Parts: sequence; structure tokens; C-alpha cells
Amino acid sequence: MKTKAAVLWEVGKDWSVEEIELDPPKQGEVLVKLAASGMCHSDEHLLTGDLPFALPIIGGHEGAGVVEEVGEGVTWLQPGDHVVFGFIPSCGRCPSCSTGHQNLCDLGALLGIGMQISDGTARHHAQGKDIGLMCLLGTFSHHTVVNEASCIKIEDDIPLDRACLMGCGVVTGWGSAVYAADVQPGETVVVAGVGGIGANAIQGAKLAGAKRIIAIDPLENKREKAMDFGATHTAESFDAALPLVQDITWGTMANKVILTLGVGNGDLLASALALTSKGGRVVVTNIHPAAEMTANVSLLDLTLMEKQVVGSLFGSGNPRYDIPRLLGLYREGQLDLDGLVTRSYTLDEVNVGYQDMRDGKNIRGVMVYE
Amino acid sequence: MKTRAAILWGVGQDWSVEEIDLDPPKQGEVLLEMKAAGLCHSDEHMVTGDMVVSEDLRQMFELPDTFPLIGGHEGAGVVQEVGPGVTSLKPGDHVSVSFIPACGRCRYCSTGRQNLCDLGAGALNRGQIFDNTSRHHARGQDLAIMAKLGTFSEYTVVNELSLIKVDDDLPFAAVSLVSCGVATGWGSAVERAGTAPGDTVVVVGIGGIGMNAVQGAKMAGARHVIAVDPVEFKREKAMEFGATHTVPSIEEALPFVTQLTWGQMADRVIMTPGVMYGDLMAGALSLTGKGGTCVVTAVAPMAQTESSVNLFELAMWNKEIKGTIFGSLNPRRDIPNLLSMYREGQLKLDELVTRTYALDDINAGYQDMRDGKNIRGVITF
Repeated sequence: MKTKAAVLWEVGKDWSVEEIELDPPKQGEVLVKLAASGMCHSDEHLLTGDLPFALPIIGGHEGAGVVEEVGEGVTWLQPGDHVVFGFIPSCGRCPSCSTGHQNLCDLGALLGIGMQISDGTARHHAQGKDIGLMCLLGTFSHHTVVNEASCIKIEDDIPLDRACLMGCGVVTGWGSAVYAADVQPGETVVVAGVGGIGANAIQGAKLAGAKRIIAIDPLENKREKAMDFGATHTAESFDAALPLVQDITWGTMANKVILTLGVGNGDLLASALALTSKGGRVVVTNIHPAAEMTANVSLLDLTLMEKQVVGSLFGSGNPRYDIPRLLGLYREGQLDLDGLVTRSYTLDEVNVGYQDMRDGKNIRGVMVYE
Repeated sequence: MKTRAAILWGVGQDWSVEEIDLDPPKQGEVLLEMKAAGLCHSDEHMVTGDMVVSEDLRQMFELPDTFPLIGGHEGAGVVQEVGPGVTSLKPGDHVSVSFIPACGRCRYCSTGRQNLCDLGAGALNRGQIFDNTSRHHARGQDLAIMAKLGTFSEYTVVNELSLIKVDDDLPFAAVSLVSCGVATGWGSAVERAGTAPGDTVVVVGIGGIGMNAVQGAKMAGARHVIAVDPVEFKREKAMEFGATHTVPSIEEALPFVTQLTWGQMADRVIMTPGVMYGDLMAGALSLTGKGGTCVVTAVAPMAQTESSVNLFELAMWNKEIKGTIFGSLNPRRDIPNLLSMYREGQLKLDELVTRTYALDDINAGYQDMRDGKNIRGVITF
């Protein structure tokens, strides 16, 4: 069939919205008519070349839509089902999936390849070439064919232009607080960086019962937004946060510090650890440059104060459990998704949306399809 | 195709070994040649009726008949043929069965609790997981299969979700035991009881489950492992599997553990008797120390609704009672993991097998179990 998608042909070029040829789903695959896609910073990294995935590629890894057709051997989905894509597939069989760590599914190793999980070939073609898929998904498209392992069925009454945010940003932030930081009632939590991830870390810390939530961001509008999502205090920098946290905790500092910056910087780890209490934990959720090999940390302080530094992918959540669970919280009014979306775009406006992101205009932009 | 299987036609009867008709595998199903099947006590519970739904419950919930039933839920075999849509197995693969399927997609599978997979709810339905129809037939009737498996059969057809691929070099008898009894016992001590280095652990009932709870407690670093069993042969065997002390009964265990622990009693008590009668709980909780854990692993009569628990003591001494199925382990991770421990010499499996039987000798095997002659009996094909 023919469909329309945003393709990146070369690093540094704009997204090219064009007609592509889409093959029917093969063994274990489904054809999905997308309703909406989040515009995540990670797709921008394709354009800048920071994410060195094979080109050409169809962007987008936060998507929600309706199943139109299933290939052979698909037993868990049928046409008409509403689905959210997980940016990491979950096979349900590997050691990680078998022990409640679906975010570390062994199929994640295929993410950078961008071809179908089942046989390593492409279903998407344009200008006579095979096209890869961002995170095996390619949600910047009106239709896509993906493996069943990437699909999480959701209930039909959830608006798809909100559900799409579950595929990456919301669970990553919320889980960073609830799972990776393991925020407990009464704790003091610092969230550094209030973007699409940090705003949800604040929401997670609040729901887990944090006594105080200190949001750090240099932009005033982000700090104001942080208060809407549940922060109790804000600071514009690590330096400004240090006396504030000392003051409000009577010098005992924060139990948990969650790093959700635009891009991480190893030099900042010491500042994060300075905000952390004895026995406290720093969670590193944001992406650091791949070539960065050093971080600024006093290992004596780490030992004597029994501090922890913990990495977290997808908020250490399980896509098949946490995506439906968080949508349940949204339905009950305990998770704000509407407040995250600053503006909606059509697929043709993809480059406008990313310019708005670069200009700092959006908390989150979302593309909504017909 | 034609094959031979041990069928139970009703409560209280012997197993009837006879020819059956076996259909080819449908969507998601696999034809398996059985190589070994464990004679587990749970199949005996179908003979005694302990695990059979009563007639009034059956009518209330409109459940299908339990019988006729092909027994067996412990097994190892080789894949002969795969149905459409099977992607994780191919002919020639060696597999362990899993008496609870692991769909990998439900809430429990998604959070590291495959032992509670939602598909386990279909255990009392007849037929295959996907369409509830039978592939097994005899005397003109559809046959149910124990735990969606029916391993007391030379060949069987089961869903891919009930099979765990294992390495080809492992002996089939060892694999068959891990598929239920070993994992259940070992996990009861290690995972559910949470045995920690230095703990005192009591295991009540030293059969195929209890012996592996003893092994697990030892591996987790227990200081004392006290094995309780009336049969002298089992007490002797328990010492070989890592017990530090043995006693013949709960009554005798009480003064013994009191003295051994200077009155602090056990940190973990694991209940693995043949049948979990409710009046055993008073003794079990007396053996459990302040803040201690009592794990209930053994199968109790389905209709039993009372047990001798002093709730005052439970609250005041902060004790906990925990149920467990499959030792609270994840079949797809833990069956291969336990088998790798066996290969490294850290888990005794060969020593568990007292005797092997042919399928035709199944009733003799179960009589030996009733007579307390076996730690484990295994059918080899």
C-alpha cells in the first residue's frame, strides 16, 4: 500500500514528508494506522547525527494507533485493537523479560538496526530504497508495520493523542522517580531538568508521597510549570539549589536526586551528589554523550556516606505493565498528560514542530494524524 | 497419530495405560516426544480427589468434567513438529515443560512473576490454551491433560507457552524434575522464604519438594537446616542434601529447635508435607520465631477452609505466612538457571531419583511413593 511518512535521508537535512510504499505484515507483524506521534528529542538526535542510526530512516518512536491487519502467527492482537508502541520491544521470553525487567529485553539490541525483528528486512520503501525505522517503529507516518513485540494493547476509551506519550517520555520520567529512585512517603526529592521527562519525574515523586520536591531548571516558564506538576520548591541551578535544600532539610539533604537534563554532563555528577543525603541515591536518566568517559565524583564521599548512583532506562518500568497502568492513572486524574502537550501539528508540519522545540516553545509537541 | 498414555478415568481408580489418538499441533502448538516424566505427588492428588473440584462447585461455576485425564505435569522431551505461528522452537529442540504457562504479556509475566501468569486460570478448563479443544482422544471421548501438558504419554501436543527450551547435553530425567518439584522446593527456600546467610530453617516433609527446599536453604547460606520427616530413609537422605539436623515429627522438632536456637526458634519454616492439612499450622507457627516467615508450599485439600492459626501470636510476634506456587520463580529464567547449577555440581538432581519406571509400571511407581520408598520416581520412555 501507499502511505505518507517523514523520512530523513541525510544528517543535517530536514525531514522529507513523502509517499512511501508499505508491504503487508509478515510473520508476527501488524499493520497499524497511526493516530498520533510524540515529537521526542531523540528523533532530533537522528537529524544532528548524535544518534548514528543507518539512513534513510523514518523517524518517531512515540506512537499510538489502531491495528488494521495482522500477519501470520499474531495471537495477541486483532484488527481494531488500540495500541501504544514500546520504544523497546518486549519479547516476554528472555531472562530480562522473565524477571520483570522488560525495559532491558534482549531484542533491544536490534534498535539501532531499524529493520524488522522477524527477518531483518524492510517493509517500508521509498525512491527504490529500503527505509529503516526509528526504534523499529517509525511513528512519523500515517501507517506502519511493526512487530507484535513492540505493541502494547490499551483500552479503547483513552485518547490516542495522549496515549502516544506513554511510549517513551512519560514512563521514563515517572518510573525514574517511582522505580529507579524508589521514592518513599516523606522523602525529599530533587529533579534536575524540567522537560518532558523531568515533569513526569515530578508527577511520580508526588504520587509516591514525597514530602518536598525541588525542581531545578534555568527557564522560568519551566519552573512555573514544575509547580503545576507537583514541585514544592524550584531553583534555577545546582548552585542555587544547594543552600535551598540545606535550609529546608535542616542540612540532611535530599534522599533522591533525579537527573533529567536535556543532555547530561559528567562534570555535574559532583553537584548532584552534593545535594544527596547520607544513604541517598542519584538516578541518571538523561542521555550523556556516547564518547564521554569521565564523571566528577568523590568516591570517598560515596563510600563514607553510602551514596548510590543508579542508571535508569525507560524509568526501569515494564512496558506491558506500566503503559496500561499509567493510562489508568490518567483516567483517574492522578497523572496529568493534557498539561504536557503545548501544541499539536500535522505530519506535514514536522519541521515546524522541531523548530519550535529548538526554540524552547514546547514542553511537548504532538503530531496528530487524520 | 496413535500413541500410548496413562489415563485416569475417575477418582480412586488406577492409571490406565492405553492407546490414544493424538491430533497434529494447531496454531501455537508443538508435538512433543516425551523422554522423561516425573511421578509428582500432585498427580496423585487427582487420584485421591484432593485437587478435584467438588460436584457442587463444578455445577456452580459451570466447570467441565475433570475426567478422563492424562496425568503428568513434570516432563522433558524433544520437539517433533511445530504448528503455525510457533517462533521460539523448532523440531529437534530439547525442552522442559512448565506446569504454568508463561505468556510473557500479562501483568504478572510483565513484572517478574511468571508463576502467576494469567493463563494459569485455565488450568481447570479442558483442552488446549488457545481454543479449548482437545488434541487427545480415547474410547471416543476427548481427554483432558494435566496442567495443559499430559506428560504421562509417549507423545503429547502442548502450547509453546508451556515449553522452556533447554540445552541438549542435559539428561532428560534431571530436566523433568526441575520442571516442577525441584524449582518449587528450591524457590520456596530461596525466593519465597528469602533465606539469608546465618538463618535457621526448618523444612517439614522431605519428599520431592522438601528435599529441594533443603538444598536451596543450604545454598542460601542457612546456618541450621532441620529436616522433619517420619521416614528414616528420608531423614538420612536429607543429610546428604544439606540438612544439619533431622527429627521425625513436628512435636519432636519443637524442643529440639528451642534448644538449638536458645529459644529464638526458626527464621524460616517451609511446609512441604504430602498433604497440607490445616491442623499442621499450629506446630509450624510454633517453630517460627519472632518476625519469622512460614511458607506454605504443599497442596491442601481444595475444600479445606480452616487451619489452626493463632492470630494473636501472628500479630504480636510479627510473623508472616506466605503461600507459594512454583517456589515463586519464573519458569523461563529459573528452569535454565537451576539446570546450569546442576551442570556446575551445585544442585543435586541425579541423587533425587530413587527409581525409574516404564510407562506401563506407573501404578507400581505411585504405590512406591505411597509406601515412602522413593524420594522421586521418574518414568523414562
